[in-house]
Amino acid sequence: MGSDEPYDRYVSRRRALKGAGAAVTAGVVGLSGCVGDDGGDSGSGGVDPLADELTVWHAMGGQLGETLDGIAADFQDETDIEVTMQFQDSYEDVLQNTISGFDSGEMADMLQVDSLFAQQVLDTGEIRPVENILPDSFDTDDFLDNVTDFFVIDGELASMPFNNSNAIMYINRDAFAEAGLDPDDPPSTIADVRAASETLVGEGVTDYGITWPNHVWFVEHWYSLEGELMTDAENGHAGDPSQFRAPDAVTDLYDWWQGMEEDGLYTNPGIEAWGEATSLFVEGNCAMLLTSTASVAGLIADSEFEVDAVPYPTISETRVGPVIGGASFYVPEGFSEDRYDEIGQLLEFMADPSVQVDWHKGTGYYPITESSLEELRSENWFEENPNYETALNQLRNGDAGDPATKRILLGPARQVQTTVQNQSVDIIGSSDLEGSIDSMQEQATAELEDYYG
Amino acid sequence: MLGLIQYPARLLRATKRQTAALALPDRRDLETIGLHLLLVGSVLLIVFPILVAAIVSTKQTGIVTGLADLVPGGHVVENYRTVLVDYQFGRFMWNSFLMATVIVTGKLALSIFAATAIVYYDLPYKDLLFLFILFTLLLPVPVRFIPLFQLVADMGWTNSMLAITVPYLASATTVFILRQHFLSIPSSIVETAKLDGVGPLKFMAFVLLPMSKGILVGVSVIMFVFAWNQYLWPLVIINAEADQVAQVGLALLEGDVVGGEVSWSLVMAGSMLTLLPPLLLLILFRKPLLRAFVIQQK
Amino acid sequence: MSSREIYTDRRTAGLLLLPTILVSLVFLYYPAARAARRALYSSQLGLDDEFVGLENFAELLTSGGYQSRLLLTVGFAAVVVAGVMVVALLLTFLVHEVGTGKSIYLVAAIWPYALPPAVAALVFIFLVHPSLGVLSGPLATLGVDLDWFADGRQAFVVVTVAAIWKQIGYNVIFMIASMNNIPETLTETARLDGVGRLRRLLWVYVPIMTPTLFFLVILNTIYAFFGTFAFIDIMTGGGPSGATNILIFDLYQEAFDFFNWGLASAKSVVLFAIVGVLMYVQFRLTDKYSHYGA
Repeated sequence: MGSDEPYDRYVSRRRALKGAGAAVTAGVVGLSGCVGDDGGDSGSGGVDPLADELTVWHAMGGQLGETLDGIAADFQDETDIEVTMQFQDSYEDVLQNTISGFDSGEMADMLQVDSLFAQQVLDTGEIRPVENILPDSFDTDDFLDNVTDFFVIDGELASMPFNNSNAIMYINRDAFAEAGLDPDDPPSTIADVRAASETLVGEGVTDYGITWPNHVWFVEHWYSLEGELMTDAENGHAGDPSQFRAPDAVTDLYDWWQGMEEDGLYTNPGIEAWGEATSLFVEGNCAMLLTSTASVAGLIADSEFEVDAVPYPTISETRVGPVIGGASFYVPEGFSEDRYDEIGQLLEFMADPSVQVDWHKGTGYYPITESSLEELRSENWFEENPNYETALNQLRNGDAGDPATKRILLGPARQVQTTVQNQSVDIIGSSDLEGSIDSMQEQATAELEDYYG
Repeated sequence: MLGLIQYPARLLRATKRQTAALALPDRRDLETIGLHLLLVGSVLLIVFPILVAAIVSTKQTGIVTGLADLVPGGHVVENYRTVLVDYQFGRFMWNSFLMATVIVTGKLALSIFAATAIVYYDLPYKDLLFLFILFTLLLPVPVRFIPLFQLVADMGWTNSMLAITVPYLASATTVFILRQHFLSIPSSIVETAKLDGVGPLKFMAFVLLPMSKGILVGVSVIMFVFAWNQYLWPLVIINAEADQVAQVGLALLEGDVVGGEVSWSLVMAGSMLTLLPPLLLLILFRKPLLRAFVIQQK
Repeated sequence: MSSREIYTDRRTAGLLLLPTILVSLVFLYYPAARAARRALYSSQLGLDDEFVGLENFAELLTSGGYQSRLLLTVGFAAVVVAGVMVVALLLTFLVHEVGTGKSIYLVAAIWPYALPPAVAALVFIFLVHPSLGVLSGPLATLGVDLDWFADGRQAFVVVTVAAIWKQIGYNVIFMIASMNNIPETLTETARLDGVGRLRRLLWVYVPIMTPTLFFLVILNTIYAFFGTFAFIDIMTGGGPSGATNILIFDLYQEAFDFFNWGLASAKSVVLFAIVGVLMYVQFRLTDKYSHYGA
């Protein structure tokens, strides 16, 4: 196999710790040790499959979950391999179950991990790169460049990208028109957003101008579009980062954000409040919404007004490119080779253009392979549904070569995320803007040092 | 003050009683009306959040942003059908009902045994023993979670009714409540039992249980609600969706909202459905709940 | 030896206690002890354990952040326990006093308790979301500007009210049982003596209900420390600026968001110790000041 080598960079420190603590681990984690031993052939910790059939832990609720079930059923019809798609409530829960699963020794075969948590899963040292699982016939070059840039780690495709997105801005065309704004010339910078918001609120058309969920992803977008790294070491893609960055542009961002809040032009829907933010837009409280392209289908269906999807507003005129969002499928190390053969078939099936095309149409996640893109173009899909193309164009117009457009790949991603989200609220409510930004930077830096130090 | 004392005490008392008698019917009526008004007010306040949830469950997307929105929408049948059929809530609720029934029955039996031993037996280190049971209240699920998962998986109980019931059978709360209650049963009654030479099983069945009906109903309701609302543990230990419980079903609905969709109405429709069994239970047992200790008084 | 201890056969007593003790040991104490041992290890992802002795505890006890969270939690628990009991007592008293419709009022007052905490939190967001909430408009006209995503004190109040509301029914169940247990003759005597309703509640009923009230204090304390997790998780995430970051949420976040299982285990041991001491004191007081039987 030799599949572990490329991972040494990520694993070495942990492996060293593990070696030192091996005896201890066997004692402390007694039972999980036993379970691991049952695995037999698995050298490194070792896990057992959860069930005879293939199990996939995912975080796609409702309609999306049903689509996944459909994919599993189609796959079963074609190959006679049984698959259960298990909804785990949220990406956070998938992550928790994954870490707990490695600890207890029973794992699902595929794990849908939010790109934000990629490094945490890689750091377990128990992941087999999908490139070593996919059938030889599989062409990894088919993925869009911007997609592979994030998911290829040390030259190998570590996980199978599946549902990928970036953040875009949705505008309520009717409200724009009513306020005397031109919906065909939407705001493109945050200054434009402020001007439009002043008009919208001033004319009494909406309560607020704009809203977005308080999630680190939106701050990440502002960094990357500005061409700024969030941490050193290329956001964690080139070694261990030690510093959280807060360049001048970030001060400009928070200065704007604070002003919007103080003047009642922006409303905070709550921490990670995706549903609330969407509701504020759909109900007409806000005429602009920043959220995932994955909401495009639902937003158009739920709104009683005309919706446009437009590019994400930038801090300055600079527009380098967005970061990636969404999730990919990881496969744990330690199963039998026969099993990896079945998993490989399922992975291949999920990247198949026909599956990807249906997935894109039903959700708004952008297609991730050139061949599925071609298929959509040949159907004239984007001409008929231009809102579905916004995110894709935003991605393709981005400079994939600029390291700032690579999403943060941090071991303590969850800590940094929590810090940025909590501190953002403090910053916009603070009378000492610079000081509050410094404190966010210090706290996030301390978390990096804590983990990597 | 001094002037009052001049009046003969008896006269004063008579006057007082007379005015009381005269004012009595009116004042009582007013007071009764006042009581009802107060109660209706407080109960409305307490139930208001549920009413909002109920109204949300009848709307299309279920967004209500002001008092004016608090009129039922026209999507009742559609929403509840979606939840029951598409999201298999009927199945989930049946599983929850089975789980809760097993837990309540088991807990009740085990706790009656334990509380009887603690109160009616001459045992050394009784308080320590009791504290040992009581302190299980301090072991929250997040702490025990992973080792418990390993343990139950090792026992081969994954996906079974055993896994979602047996770990709950020791109940500190119920033992605690029964102990307090047993201690409040007059010792004269207990001594009579002793004099009559009644054995422990008979004592439990014919003396303790009849004298504890109200409290047993009370704790059963509480245990049922507790069991019915279990979420985290079934979520991890039950893999087969067909065996899953209602609270996990509810999380499936919530997942949409977390994902940014506006399907609040479905979440609330599911919530209202899961609230029905506890409501039925309360209605069924309202009398014993109210008259909890009446038997003991005789 | 109390006059209640009418049996002496220890083997039977052992058999009666065995199931509860066995289940407690196997499914509660053993997993908790296993988890607690982790407190002595540095375990960042749960995978690599390195023995660090009491380092995790030292880190906690010297952390200013942890100390303020501890104080916050004690304050939160005190407000929740007091709030729940005052409201529930008054409500129970009203139900007790009213002549007709008792059971309807009772069912309505208890019912919300059956709402799962996570859903209760969601419903509360519907009510008081600063820009979407049903009540935020009416409250604004009353001069209350809801801003609890940014205002720590408001967030504390909102979470406390939600936590109190959820627990009222639980208390009413036991209080009504206890209040109905009070002999009618006592009530009559108080009435004839011209004792007003509220004074009757405070000076006649409450003393008699002491045993019930004492154990409700214990159970409500447990609730405030452990059972309020969902409200924090769903409504505030511990914020803003840590204003609602109570220990159980802090512990959960450390374990399941940050995967610092060593530190999280130390936190759970500390939490166990704090609530354990509180509970022990309350338990002693209960047995000291409650008089059972006649």
